[in-house]
Amino acid sequence: MRVLMLSEQDARKLRPSVIAGLIFVLGIVLVYVVQLSLNMVLTQDAYKLSQLMAEKRQLATEVQIIQEEVDSLASPQNLADAANRLGMVANPASVLLDIRSGKVFGDPVPADPDETAVASANMVANAALGTVSEFSPSTIAASGFDISVAIVSDADSALALDSGLIPASPTR
Amino acid sequence: MGTHAKLTSRLTAFVLLLFVLVGALGWRLVDFQVVRAEEIQEKSLERRSVTQTLTALRGDILDSSGQVLARTVFRYDVNAAPKNVGPVFRAEDGVVTEHSVEAIAMELAPLLGLSLEELLPRLEGDSEYANLAKAVDAATYNAIRDLRVPWIYFDQFSDRLYPNGAVAGNLIGFVGSDGTPLAGLERQFNSCLAGVDGQEKYERSAEGVRIPTSNVVTQPTQDGGNLNLTIDSNLQFFAQQVLADTVAELNADWASAIVIEVETGRILAAAEAPTVDPNDPAATDAENRGSKIMQFAFEPGSIMKSISSAMVLDSGAANEFETKMAPDRLQLDYGESIKDSFDHDDFDLSLAGVLRYSSNTGIYAFGMEVDEKERFNYLQDFGFGTTSGLNFEGESSGILRPYEDWQYADKYTHLFGQGVSVTALQMGFAYQAIANGGVRLDPILVDSCTGPGGEVLYEPDQKGYRVISEANADLNLQLMEKVVEFGGVGKTAAIEDYRVAGKTGTAQIREGDGYGDRYAISFYGVAPVENPRFVVGVTIYRPEGVSNSAKATPPFKAIMQQALKHYRVPPSTTTSRDDIPSNRFGEPGA
Repeated sequence: MRVLMLSEQDARKLRPSVIAGLIFVLGIVLVYVVQLSLNMVLTQDAYKLSQLMAEKRQLATEVQIIQEEVDSLASPQNLADAANRLGMVANPASVLLDIRSGKVFGDPVPADPDETAVASANMVANAALGTVSEFSPSTIAASGFDISVAIVSDADSALALDSGLIPASPTR
Repeated sequence: MGTHAKLTSRLTAFVLLLFVLVGALGWRLVDFQVVRAEEIQEKSLERRSVTQTLTALRGDILDSSGQVLARTVFRYDVNAAPKNVGPVFRAEDGVVTEHSVEAIAMELAPLLGLSLEELLPRLEGDSEYANLAKAVDAATYNAIRDLRVPWIYFDQFSDRLYPNGAVAGNLIGFVGSDGTPLAGLERQFNSCLAGVDGQEKYERSAEGVRIPTSNVVTQPTQDGGNLNLTIDSNLQFFAQQVLADTVAELNADWASAIVIEVETGRILAAAEAPTVDPNDPAATDAENRGSKIMQFAFEPGSIMKSISSAMVLDSGAANEFETKMAPDRLQLDYGESIKDSFDHDDFDLSLAGVLRYSSNTGIYAFGMEVDEKERFNYLQDFGFGTTSGLNFEGESSGILRPYEDWQYADKYTHLFGQGVSVTALQMGFAYQAIANGGVRLDPILVDSCTGPGGEVLYEPDQKGYRVISEANADLNLQLMEKVVEFGGVGKTAAIEDYRVAGKTGTAQIREGDGYGDRYAISFYGVAPVENPRFVVGVTIYRPEGVSNSAKATPPFKAIMQQALKHYRVPPSTTTSRDDIPSNRFGEPGA
């Protein structure tokens, strides 16, 4: 191996430029800064994602809880029991109205708890029954069953449409 | 040695050393990056990657109006790690308070449904696992999670919930505690209901946080399909209520009721009492966990006479006006005799009269006019002796012996429903054939199975079979109407403002070699006669102290009336034919 000695002038020529070095170093720093900020954003998002997924799970659980409550309240077992507690009795006699001809089929007859073949209280098992209808004591008292309810059979008094307009329903 | 040479040798040594070092590092690099690259990568991935099963949801079972009869819910096993059990520190409003294990246990116990004495021993010891409660619901899970106890953890799993309990439990069936379908439609349609679990892999950091963009779904999840039934759960519930009441009142073994839509063959209700609550199958005796309507064959008794009269009419052996002498008892050549259910003088009965008085000797007189082979063929066409197209698990075909094997009593007893056994399903659809102008339809219980995207995965393939002519079917219905119009027991099945046709049945039940003293009482009927909409068939098995079908008509009437009301069927506008003879003198009228 040979070692060659250069003149001072040549050596100065070969010395790397300070500006180029500075650009190089700054470039590297910039790349690192960008990478760091990208990483920070990604990490932040990872935590955010994790948090949102936990929230989604929690909301899904809430939905399930409410769904099960609705299921239980809507089950025929609860409805039968609730109707029974309010003193309701199924009325097998139906009265139908043909809207086109205005014809009424059948005669309205009050339901008679002694005559009906149906036990209104629930007799069908349901282990899933959780939330059940609750009534205030006043509601139950107000529902005191009275079989002598007068049946309005006078068709003329049922509706009076003098103006020819159908009155707006109060139900929303 | 000169300075130059010294420098050169040092440099040479340095460069050599450098080469060795770079070579060693290079070799190591090649070893890591090329030779053992795969192994190392695998190890590294194994450390940070997690494989997670994505549970596919089992599909719902819905009734004809979309009401959910079975759905999938999540349940939770609550576990503790006794090794880590200790006081819990909670920060509330910036103040950290310590809660002792006993205090935490007092909060936990009521939520877990345990007493303190039961709970505390489970929290002791060095193990990392102790189960505190199994399958708690989501509300309980939330309440326990909100206590923020670090040594409590949960195992989530999917479970089946039947919101309407025992409504149609006999049809739906149930699943085991591990989710395996064990009975009914849950089992029969498992391939439609069950989904396919998926799998995903993702990488996580040292803190357990999922590394973004690292998750890969290796197996996509396929949720199960929804099973849409023809059952109307409101009508089904109503029928079950009526039957539960009937069984309790009569102390019967069981009772069943089937409601069929005549024109479509759709089963709107197939109710039984007692029946299984799929939420808790163990609460019901094993023999009542299935569907007797499909699986239990019994000798039908006199409800079969409507089928026999249809054969007589359709074969041309007699019309509605012809009469035959029906004695109280008929002695047969080979030593046996046939007896009517009540003592009477000789009657002169038309076919309608035979049905009205439910005369065994009368149906014998008419029925024997039809050739044995022809009768057998009719019985087969009505659907007896074979299973239906439902393919319900454990469905019975009943017993109908081939006519070639008929001997002595076999040749005629089937005319009044003995010596053959049928299911309520078969009998219901034999009546459906009569009500539907002579065409028996394949029963339909499942309308469809639809995938999560609404695509149809299964649809029944329904066929119709012409059994008797339309004219004879309609005529037979008019003869059956006389049972409800004038019959002793039949009259109690009448529904005000509607024309109803039907037939009573009080079948003896075989016990050992003979018949026992309890009966299977039935009423199968159709309404409205002028435009049949529904067949309702009620059977009460072994009621106590009952020897006629008078107790079967009230449930029939209640259920038929409910069906007519529920489906808004207007009352009949026509009246029954008054020229059909049905009294004991072979004349029309009472």
